[in-house]
Amino acid sequence: MAAGPGRVFPFRDARWAPDPVLEPGAAVRTPQPVPLVIDNGSFQTRAGWAAPGAAEPLLRFRSLAARSRGARGAAGAETQVGNDLGSPEPLRWLLRSPFDRDVPVQLELQELLFDHVFQRLGVSSQGCVDHPIILTEAVCNPLYSRQMISELLFECYQVPKVSYGVDSLYSFYHNKRQNWPCSGLIISSGYQCTHVLPVLEGRLDAKNCKRINLGGCQAAVYLQRLLQLKYPGHFAAITLSRMEEILHEHSYIGEDYIEELQKWRSPEYYENNVHKMQLPFSNKLLGSTLTSEEKQERRQQQLRRLQELNARRREEKLQLDQERLDRLLYVQTPELDPLGSEQSLEDVDSINEFEPLFAEEQPEVEKPVAAVQPVFNLAEYHQLFLGTERIRAPEIVFQPSLIGEEQAGIAETMQYVLDRYSKEQQNVLVQNVFLTGGNAMYPGLKARIQKELLEMRPFQSSFQVHLASSPILDAWYGARDWALEYMNREEGWITRKDYEEKGGEYLKEHCASNVYVPIRLPKQAPRTTEALASSKVLAASVSNSSDQV
Amino acid sequence: MDSTEQTKLVKLRGAGGGIGGAGTCEVFPPPPPHRGRGWRRARPGRHQSIGGEAMNENKFLSTDPGTGPMEAAKPLPFKDPNFMHSGIGGAAAGKKNRTWKNLKQILASERALPWQLNDPSYFNIDAPPSFKPAKKYSDISGLPANYTDPQSKLRFSTIEEFAYIRMLPSDVVTGTQCG
Repeated sequence: MAAGPGRVFPFRDARWAPDPVLEPGAAVRTPQPVPLVIDNGSFQTRAGWAAPGAAEPLLRFRSLAARSRGARGAAGAETQVGNDLGSPEPLRWLLRSPFDRDVPVQLELQELLFDHVFQRLGVSSQGCVDHPIILTEAVCNPLYSRQMISELLFECYQVPKVSYGVDSLYSFYHNKRQNWPCSGLIISSGYQCTHVLPVLEGRLDAKNCKRINLGGCQAAVYLQRLLQLKYPGHFAAITLSRMEEILHEHSYIGEDYIEELQKWRSPEYYENNVHKMQLPFSNKLLGSTLTSEEKQERRQQQLRRLQELNARRREEKLQLDQERLDRLLYVQTPELDPLGSEQSLEDVDSINEFEPLFAEEQPEVEKPVAAVQPVFNLAEYHQLFLGTERIRAPEIVFQPSLIGEEQAGIAETMQYVLDRYSKEQQNVLVQNVFLTGGNAMYPGLKARIQKELLEMRPFQSSFQVHLASSPILDAWYGARDWALEYMNREEGWITRKDYEEKGGEYLKEHCASNVYVPIRLPKQAPRTTEALASSKVLAASVSNSSDQV
Repeated sequence: MDSTEQTKLVKLRGAGGGIGGAGTCEVFPPPPPHRGRGWRRARPGRHQSIGGEAMNENKFLSTDPGTGPMEAAKPLPFKDPNFMHSGIGGAAAGKKNRTWKNLKQILASERALPWQLNDPSYFNIDAPPSFKPAKKYSDISGLPANYTDPQSKLRFSTIEEFAYIRMLPSDVVTGTQCG
């Protein structure tokens, strides 16, 4: 029985519905191919057409693929991508992601994700993907990664032109309040990392941005560890998907962390605010640790044994007494009647002797039974009580020392970044502090950032904090807005010719892109037998030329 | 070049898994003839070494070289079927290195590039370590903790937590200590 207002919540354990193969209308190809916007995130990939009426990305799926080995003798390994997986838990150990932190490194898996996107969106052009592509990349993306992605897009899919941008900047672009270009300080918290990005006059000031390597993924792992240590009996039931569900729906960020914790000290507050997550019933209980339920079992067994022993002893005693009674009766009845009354008196006495004994036995039998009443509530055993865990897990981006990370938290990093600017520029930046990203959706984040700013800014100076209108999807919306505006212009697009002349790591800057640092990478040549010799020559010559640059 | 490759392949077939004669071939058995054209993809890491061999073999077997990501399914129409990533192991890596570089390796090689002092790069923008001392929280409840158990080094804030710590089995203690 849930005590008081502390609520019991079930786990939804939602399954993902596979994406159908969509049929795009003819408008996608005529009068000219419509750009395809792909927000390539480490948590989720969002993709859709950049059409003026597009309300939402048509595809949203987790950036995961699993290569499950088919049964022996079957067609071989089967690859499932994104929503086709159904549920991540049974295949948890086979799940692979192309991302390492927020950078794609496993390009074959990235190819699988692109295949999935193009196929489900209904790309029908033969031999090439005939649409311009807008793709998001990490802040200050390593040149090698961009080179590999460009190679994949231009060589494998024969895309006509590509534009790379940063998801937080697209989100900022989408949420612009006054006229563009504007300035602001973007705090973008994603699945793997959290960025503090100063934007001046519409352009990212890349040399002053900072990245904290903590995000939703680390929060989920931390929460999983906390709960597994608290409930060692439910080790297997505490899965990462359920942790993500708890983070999305039951966690919040305290405005003042220490104060919130003090509130949780009082048992009343705890009872009113604890969220009890109901796990599905499972028969097996871990035998290794002595849970309280096991102790009850043992006690019951011992009591049963004692009862049996007592019962046997009583039987024996009864038997002895019965024999005695028989003897007395026997002695009494066949013989001397005049002695009958005496004997009967004796009998009555002896019988009376027995009565109190019988009377005594009864209550003794009652008492142990009363103590054995199960105090153990089966439903409560299968509940996870979330008290301070609700605020501890999201707190790691503010205090990385909670999980042993040395980096500074958001507040200290914001201060570090602001200190690199003049007073006027600092003022300009804090007038537009912008929060975006999936990990920024905790209730209470905005209040917390405001409190941190109040502490670090000069007395009675002003600042403004805004949250993105839709922190997860705004990056896609911003990219789509950018695509619609720049579709027919040259700026910001890397054409195939640019790729061939300037290499895969080339980047054309635009209002939502990284800063391009003109360093040439040696081209990684494909390792066919013929190309090997020539690639060595090529690498040597390119490295010579880059030395001269 | 082609014919010598092919004769070598024939010899391999005959030997049933002998070591390839060509200098770049790795020591692994040739594809069994009944496997489909998707065999290359089944061992993703080995693209590079067998690239040449497989291409020739495809001509030899006269199967169409379209390889989609799905093993026995039809290839996707919008892809170039002969595409191969050049990045596996990188051009400079030897035959041994067939896996993709992870982020650490990529960053290590990026550091070697000629950056200027103020250029932004992925490793430059890491947030600095914190200058403020870390606050101590209880390992059990998360409340601010002033006390540490000398035996297990776990932090606690109330007497009940201390009793609980002393009752814990050792594996739970070790797990909590990693925090």
